[in-house]
Parts: sequence; structure tokens; C-alpha cells
Amino acid sequence: MTPAEIATWQARLPAAFGADARTRARRLAAWLAFAAWLGAALWWFGFSPARLWNGLSGLATIIRLMIPPSPGEFWLDILRGLAESVAMAFLGTTVAAVLAIPLGFLGAGNVVTNTLARFSLRRVLDGFRGVDQLIWALAYVRAVGLGPLAGVLAIATADIAVLAKLYAEAIENAERRQMEGVTAAGGGWLARLRFGVLPQVLPVMLAQALYFFESNTRSAAILGVVGAGGIGLQIAERIRVRHWDEVAFIILLMIVMVAAIDWLSGRLRRRLIGGY
Amino acid sequence: MLEIQGLTRRFGAVVAVDAVSLAVPAGQMLGIIGRSGAGKSTLLRLVNRLAEPSAGRVLFEGREITRLRGRALREWRRDCAMIFQQFNLVQRLDVLTNVLLGRLGHHRGIGAALAVLFGHFTAAERAMALAALDRFGLVETALQRAGTLSGGQQQRVAICRALLQQPRLILADEPIASLDPRNAQLVMEALRQVNRQEGITVLVNLHHLDTAREYCTRIVAMQAGRVVFDGLPAELTAERVRRIYGITEEEFEAEARARAAPCAAAMA
Repeated sequence: MTPAEIATWQARLPAAFGADARTRARRLAAWLAFAAWLGAALWWFGFSPARLWNGLSGLATIIRLMIPPSPGEFWLDILRGLAESVAMAFLGTTVAAVLAIPLGFLGAGNVVTNTLARFSLRRVLDGFRGVDQLIWALAYVRAVGLGPLAGVLAIATADIAVLAKLYAEAIENAERRQMEGVTAAGGGWLARLRFGVLPQVLPVMLAQALYFFESNTRSAAILGVVGAGGIGLQIAERIRVRHWDEVAFIILLMIVMVAAIDWLSGRLRRRLIGGY
Repeated sequence: MLEIQGLTRRFGAVVAVDAVSLAVPAGQMLGIIGRSGAGKSTLLRLVNRLAEPSAGRVLFEGREITRLRGRALREWRRDCAMIFQQFNLVQRLDVLTNVLLGRLGHHRGIGAALAVLFGHFTAAERAMALAALDRFGLVETALQRAGTLSGGQQQRVAICRALLQQPRLILADEPIASLDPRNAQLVMEALRQVNRQEGITVLVNLHHLDTAREYCTRIVAMQAGRVVFDGLPAELTAERVRRIYGITEEEFEAEARARAAPCAAAMA
């Protein structure tokens, strides 16, 4: 390529040689704004290397107190708390995963063609999603009292909306040709959903529900802190009296449990979804 | 000169390529034909080392290709560009960037880092890519996503990418099996043009015997991993085909079409 040839191509198709000056200026401005926001937030919260360093040394003290982990005297309470957390996550996710199926269908553009109905349902779901699990838990603790029931309701309420949205998106991505095949075979509206759509989206739904179960087992630990049942209460109590070795023991058990659930759900997913 | 000596590849108990020996002089356009599972694809993949041989060796101008490792292997792959049946373009990148990927093998040090981190290619490389696209009437599509192009256009973009590698050799694995007749012709003509004008050696797998006779200067037929015919296109008569494969040429091609059809349907 001679310089003359390059110049000819540059004149003929300048866009192929990179953005023009205006686009570049706009990109630079966007990056500067991003950096400014980042810097402002750091300044606002008083981030400084010295504070970070002091915080780290405080953390090191806690970690020293954690070693060696110890089950303490009330290890039966710990086990019961763990079992309660898993059960809460299981119940909450199951309720959410099942209730989200009809909602997901109703929220899918290729199922419900009435835009107003779909739009309102989706906005309602957005509203539910805007409120975090922990807020729901605080509300349910006041409504139904302390204990795991509040936790289950909090998990279910928060997840229905998220799962319904994910399901709706999976349904909208389903292939039309398969539905058309069912229609051409004489199937009605319901048959089309049951045989044309459901087999396509069921594996996706199942995979997502299993992921949510795993992640809910973890968040169920936090729900206990606000009194909604599970292992969180045990952790909060032990932190209050600075029994860090027992806290470490509970954390280790939780890690093992989450890993076990992850392994199990992975196997289940491969078994149910793999090889169609 | 590309020399293949006693090249063998086994997959478990199956011998995909069975003691194949071939000498391909520079500038030849060699057509490799055979039925499904005859070992054509594996043979090409052994040449650029996408597959490793179980026995035998490949030499290019006296250098033993089957021994190369690391950078030397990457440089060899740059020198023998591959064209795939399904084009293997990056669908979400624009056509120009897809073509520029052919330059990756030429970058060293800071240039390689710039290309990988920021997608930076020099103005000379960009002009080169545009010139290549222009040659096959694709320059207007340069800034579109590759996925928006038709199959025939995508395959020609793949040829442009191959050309930017400035290769000594082009390996084309069933380049027209997923294309309609008109686009198949355009792609074969592009390959022939590259072969004649740049003098690049072309090894092309085909299942259409007439295409092989029309475009290739030499034809090799494979059956169950072995070379069963090696000669000029004119020597591969209908009678020879029947003797080699035990079926008529029409049956041979009907079988190949039936195999290619599901791929073509999947593309549409």
C-alpha cells in the first residue's frame, strides 16, 4: 500500500479509518463525566488510602479472632438455623418459580397481544422488583410476626417479579416456527402454548429457578438478621457478643452448603436440560 | 511445494486419514473430492494443525510443519489461510474488522497489544482491507455487521480475511456447500482469481464433481481416508467415478446435496 493509495481510500470511506472529530470529542466528554462521577463519589464518602489501611488492619484483627473456628456450645441451634435457611430458600423459590410461570406468559408480547394489559402487568412487576428482599422481610416481620414464614414470603414476593420478567423474555425469544407447526396441526391457543412454547422455555425456566434457589440460600442468611428466620439470627447474636470463632464456623458451614447446592443443581440442570 | 508424507489420523478405532501422501507444487489449484466421511476435512485440518496427526508428516518448502510449536505454529497458520463451510466470521463485528482480523498474525509487540486491546489497525491495513473488499464488490458493506450479509457475501468476506493474511496457501473446506449455485460460482471464481493473480496455492474440498473439473488444475479423490485417484480433471471421467465409488456421478452428487441441504436450510 503506497501512501497515495491509503489517502485515496481515506477520502473515499473516511468512516473506515476511525471516528470523526465530533464523535471523538463526544466520547472523550462521556469518559470525563464518568471519571468525574467516580472521583466525586470517592471524595463524598471520604475514601483515603489511610482509612482503607486502618480498616484492613481492623479486619485482620477480626480474622485473627476467627481462628480457629469453633462450633461453640449451641451447635445444634446452628444446624437447625442452617436447615431453616435452606428450607426457606426452597419454599420461597418454589412458590416464586411456580407463580411466575403464568405471569411470565401474560407478560410476553407474543402471547398477550393486548399492549395495554401487558404494559400494566409489566409496570406492576417492575414496582415489585424495585423493592429489595430485605425491605419485604422487614414488612412481613411486622405483618406475620418473627420467624421463617416472614422470610419465605419475602423471598417469594421479591423473586416472583424477577422470575416473571426472565420467563417473559425467554417466551418472547421462543421460535415462532414451532408454534406455527402446532397451529397447522389444528391446535388452539392453549395447545400452542403448551406444546409449541413450553417445551422450548421450560429448560430456561428450570435453570433460572435453580440459580435463584442457590442465591436465595445465601440471602436467607441475611433475612435472619432482621428476624425473618434462618441462620442469620445466630450469626447476628454471635457478632453482638464477639464470638468470632463461632461466626467463622457458621460461615464455613454456609460455604460448604452453598457449594453442595450448586453442585447438586448443576447436576440436575445437566440431567434435565442436556441432550434434547 | 507442500509435501504430505504418510499422513494418518485415527479417531479411536476409526482411521479418518489413512497414510495419505501428496506433493502439491506452488501455484496449483487442487480439488479434493470424496463422499461424506472420506477424510477430506480432516486432511485439510491436519495441514494447518487444527488437528494433530497420529502418524506421518507435512512439509512446506522442506520445513517440517508437523513439528512447529508456539509462535512458529501461529506463523504457519497465518501463512496457510483457511476458508470454512460456515464462513466462521464474527457475526457481531463489522465486515471491515472481520477482514482486518487477517492481520493479527502479522502483529508483533506493541502493535499486537494495540490490536487486541483497542481494535487498533493501521491506516495502511485498513486501506488494504478496503481494497480487498472492493475487489469482490463488497466495499459498500464494509461498515455493516457481518451477520447482516448473505451467505455468498460472507464467504467472499472470509476470502478477503484470508487474503489479508498474505498467505502462501489457502485451504478451503467445502466453501460452497452452503451456498446457492450463483453464489457458489462467485466464490469459486474468487478463489480461482486469487490462485491465478497472486499465485497462491489453493487446496479446496468439494463434493460437486463438475465444479472440481471446471476450476481445479488437479483433482484428488478420497475414499475411506485413502487417496484413490490423483490426476488431471479430464482424466476423472464418469466411468472412473463409477469404478472408484461404485455409484454413478449423479448418485454421488445427489448424496452430497442431501448432506449439504440441512446446512443450507439452517443458514436461511
